[in-house]
Amino acid sequence: MIPPGDASLVDVAFAACTVLDRAGETAVLCGGSAAAYYVPDLYQSLDIDFVVEVGAAPHVVDRALATIGYLRASEGHYRNDRLPYTLAFPIGPLAIGREYVAAWRTQRREDRVLHVYTPTDVVRDRFLHYWAWGDRTALDVALAVARAHAADVDLAAFTAWTERELAADPSYDPSRIGRFLANLEPL
Amino acid sequence: MRRDDLRPAVFGTATRDRVLIRLALSENGLHVRELARQIESSANAVHRVVIGLERAGVVVSRPVGTTRIVLLNRRWYGAVELRALLERLAYAYPEVRERARTYRERPRRIGKPR
Repeated sequence: MIPPGDASLVDVAFAACTVLDRAGETAVLCGGSAAAYYVPDLYQSLDIDFVVEVGAAPHVVDRALATIGYLRASEGHYRNDRLPYTLAFPIGPLAIGREYVAAWRTQRREDRVLHVYTPTDVVRDRFLHYWAWGDRTALDVALAVARAHAADVDLAAFTAWTERELAADPSYDPSRIGRFLANLEPL
Repeated sequence: MRRDDLRPAVFGTATRDRVLIRLALSENGLHVRELARQIESSANAVHRVVIGLERAGVVVSRPVGTTRIVLLNRRWYGAVELRALLERLAYAYPEVRERARTYRERPRRIGKPR
């Protein structure tokens, strides 16, 4: 179960999610690391972000991750001496902007399991990063995931969500939605 | 900050209240030292508050040169409601509002008086 020294982000994510799952904690891969899962050739990260259910006991998480060589380095962060990836556990609930995320994908590899944002949620999450902070890399990643997983990305749901976010916080720049959709169109 | 301040600590401590209120009055964020100066607290105390709030996802910070700019996290799921509440609470802190009003966040050409 301990990932080898040349393990990829996805290998480590599977290992971490599996030991947490067996310990009774559901951890969902999110943020940039979820994007790296869907477009590994286009985007990589050394931070692996999981959100565990609110109320998860830290000692349970510590004990589970220790079995794969990850030890708590600071609050919410775990490191493994042999691997470059850091496991981070941002405080939940799982949410993108104002909306809670209640469903995710569960992928399986032999006896291992990985809970991960759906492609639509990765696009929403990365786009929101761009929308809120103007981060062009996040826009590029959102576009890459939307293109690579076009059949799985619900653009109507995406657009409806942007409208709800905009209604709640009119200070968001609506032209950035247009920029995202316009960049997507030629493909 | 006066020790005999009778205003309630809505978010647990007077420093946390003031940090949040001052950030709600800021468009572009503030660095910790300026934030401390504006709410009349120590940089260490403000730094501790910011770390806790950042861990909770309520604020974010970004490096600028050798310092970090702190601002409310507009991506946080309760950001809109929190900002509305803080803007409301700010009326109980006229001294914080006044400092925010006179603090210049927009660019200013070098050499011009503040």
